[in-house]
Amino acid sequence: MKRMITKFISVSLAAAMMLVPAACGRTTEEDVWLEKAGLDKEETAEELYEKALQENVLVVYTVSTRATQTKEAFEAVYPGLCVEIKDLRSPDLVDALEENYRSGHSDCDVVICNDNSGEFKERIADTGIAVPYLPSDIAAKMKDPESNTMGSFTYEAEMLFYNSEKYAECPIENIWELTDEKYKDRIYMPNPLHSFSTYAFCGGLLGEEDKLAEAYRDLYGCAPETGDASVSAFFWKSVSENIIFTNSSDEVLEALGSGSADFGFMVSSKLRFINLGYDIAPVYRLKPFSGCRTSYSAMIVRNSENINSAKLFIRFLYGESDGSGEGYKPFSTGGTWSARTDIPDGNDVPLDDIDLFVPDQDVLIKNREYLENFWTGVLESKA
Amino acid sequence: MNRKICKLLTIVLVISLMYVPGCGMKPQPDILHVAIPFSEKIQDIDTNYYINYLEEKTGLDIVVSFVKIESCDEYLEVLLDSRSEIDIVLFGGSFVPSDGVLEEYVARGDIYLPDGEFKYVSEGWDTPAGAGTVLWISKEWLVKLGMPIPETTEEFEAVLEAFKTGDPNGNGIHDEIPLAGSLDEYDLDPVEFLLGSFAVNDPYHSRMTVDGKCMATCNAYREGIEYCNELFDKGLIYDGLSECSYAQLCEMVNRPVPVVGAFTSSSIGKVIYGGNPEVMARYVHVPPLKGPDGTAAAMLPENKTKIGAVILSRSEKKEEAQLLLDTMMTEEASLIARFGEPGVDWDYSDGKDISIYMIPSTIITRNYIRDVVQNKNLNGVGPMAVPEKYIFGVTWNGVNSDSEYVDARAQMAYLDFFVQAGDGLPERNEELSEYLDGYMIMFVTGEKDITDDGVWKKYVSDAERIIK
Repeated sequence: MKRMITKFISVSLAAAMMLVPAACGRTTEEDVWLEKAGLDKEETAEELYEKALQENVLVVYTVSTRATQTKEAFEAVYPGLCVEIKDLRSPDLVDALEENYRSGHSDCDVVICNDNSGEFKERIADTGIAVPYLPSDIAAKMKDPESNTMGSFTYEAEMLFYNSEKYAECPIENIWELTDEKYKDRIYMPNPLHSFSTYAFCGGLLGEEDKLAEAYRDLYGCAPETGDASVSAFFWKSVSENIIFTNSSDEVLEALGSGSADFGFMVSSKLRFINLGYDIAPVYRLKPFSGCRTSYSAMIVRNSENINSAKLFIRFLYGESDGSGEGYKPFSTGGTWSARTDIPDGNDVPLDDIDLFVPDQDVLIKNREYLENFWTGVLESKA
Repeated sequence: MNRKICKLLTIVLVISLMYVPGCGMKPQPDILHVAIPFSEKIQDIDTNYYINYLEEKTGLDIVVSFVKIESCDEYLEVLLDSRSEIDIVLFGGSFVPSDGVLEEYVARGDIYLPDGEFKYVSEGWDTPAGAGTVLWISKEWLVKLGMPIPETTEEFEAVLEAFKTGDPNGNGIHDEIPLAGSLDEYDLDPVEFLLGSFAVNDPYHSRMTVDGKCMATCNAYREGIEYCNELFDKGLIYDGLSECSYAQLCEMVNRPVPVVGAFTSSSIGKVIYGGNPEVMARYVHVPPLKGPDGTAAAMLPENKTKIGAVILSRSEKKEEAQLLLDTMMTEEASLIARFGEPGVDWDYSDGKDISIYMIPSTIITRNYIRDVVQNKNLNGVGPMAVPEKYIFGVTWNGVNSDSEYVDARAQMAYLDFFVQAGDGLPERNEELSEYLDGYMIMFVTGEKDITDDGVWKKYVSDAERIIK
């Protein structure tokens, strides 16, 4: 019975994608592509491999360097197939996909992106520039197949870390403590305008203002005096006085590792660097939040000319039918949580035991202009 | 009849004169012959954006001759012995004259120096004032072997041993080269990096300190060489170090099946081929390692003024040549030479972005054209004077394998490890450098016994004699 439901979901998903073109004013040629792509077809990895051997180099746009490990494993398992990885930052990746689409180039076949800021959803998924591909045998193993409309294959978090060489345990219990002057220039965070997951966390607090205000009362015993500003704007303005903005989580990791930072907001998957000797520790408990949950999507880019290779690569990335495939392993590390029921989480502490919120993408989309202006102002004030 | 013939001839003459170039038409631009090292990175010089820009700005017709001789010194020798009509030679990349070569040609009267100085320098292509070299290690292999990034020379040795014996590339063959390098340039020689864990090591200034002390003759330095010799004896440093060329090192590091565990270089992009994100993703920088007494010193960079171009004395178009090179040295042209086409490949930043050095940005890169096949500039060849605010203010293009971004992060991690300033250092002594460099590799490879006090004493006394 479960199999039937899953198959139904898979077919529904493919059918839904067939409807996208009409909504987006696609050309007949593209509808032909979608039909030819056969995203609802039942195909085994062996069948896809045979067909993929007749295709060209598969191009993958990704925001995660771990995709290079998946590529290497893929090429080893499927001799004769070649994958070219282009690793980009989320906003640049979305721009590139849009530009490719506008100019009619089919430069990319598969996209792996953080899907949390609402921008990927709005500009790429909702417009049908990329379409999900979730084969029914894998859909049956997904934790949340009904709501997985963007091909999410792993969960992560944008969350707070501290320097574990300097502090034996986290020195704060409440997020408002980060506004203390003693942490001036000791907190590192990626520029939210250039990092989807940071943007999701920063902007997502707009939808969590009550809890943020409550945490302030817990700490100071009174309501925050925010003037005309919202609680979240007041929080970010205050804490940004102490923040050094970076380009990416890598720089946050290095600042924490070198002792330049006491705290840093970054993607949880950087936890894997503990094995490399970085003195970092995650903050799992913090009032009201230590961060927000994020996820990664893998989708096929519309007009891909290497559709069989793309399907095969996504199957491989998902860990194949039984979840034992090599392709998923690079994404199953500390700071990651599996989107499949048959693959254990990469992280020891389950998601439910961490103080995270799930950003409301509608709030982020609706308030994009306000949020961009707000963060532009914050960054300008730091210049 | 004669009148008729005369009239007809006059008409024919007038018509034919209308087709003579230069008569009653725009004057032909002066032709300048410019020699440029051949580069596969430049798509088509005739339509190159930068060349077209320079022609438009100067009104000159730039005729490019690509040089396929790899050695710049050899080319200059051939050129100056020939009757070639080249007016200007541009330098860049690995096509640069050796120390003193240009000065010799100036003395011989072969090279013309406007205002009596080498004013056409190249400033801005390479990041200035960074670390002289950086250690890059395979993150993949560390993860596979469950080892942390080493912080000390002792930990480093353990890592190299694991690289050698643990088959981290998983092919079942003991083909791993734990620590690779080349003696072609100081930054590619891992021994130079490792010596910084024992004593201040500045090969660019003959290993001298500001107060005139030669570090290469002190005991701490000897300990460092002993350490390197031990690594070499154990097969942890590449046994072909003495013969390995820069090109061979690059080939080893870029192999599809990884064989190199660690290497040193001032820039990761210098060794890893462009457009190779998988190889780039293998390596991470390692800050200077702490030696037995806690010493960890970053090597100072060479910081030598790089000459971007020279005008030949025999050129009959020196004024035009100067006009071209002066134009190349303007801010506008330099930004094209560095970043490509304005408004397309880059824009001025409104300061809201963060630069790769984590300061407010001044330049936003739209298309990253450095070291990739492109047709926007000469990929670092030729003179330029990019203001510092643009070099350090450049934003990251979002590509994780952007070598400039990877380098910037490494350079920043080395900032706290400079134990002596670059100013006030004595001039490089070529004889001394040659002597010390020669002995160093002999000590490391065991050709000379570093543990033999007699050998060491003789080495020291000979070095002191050269210094005096």
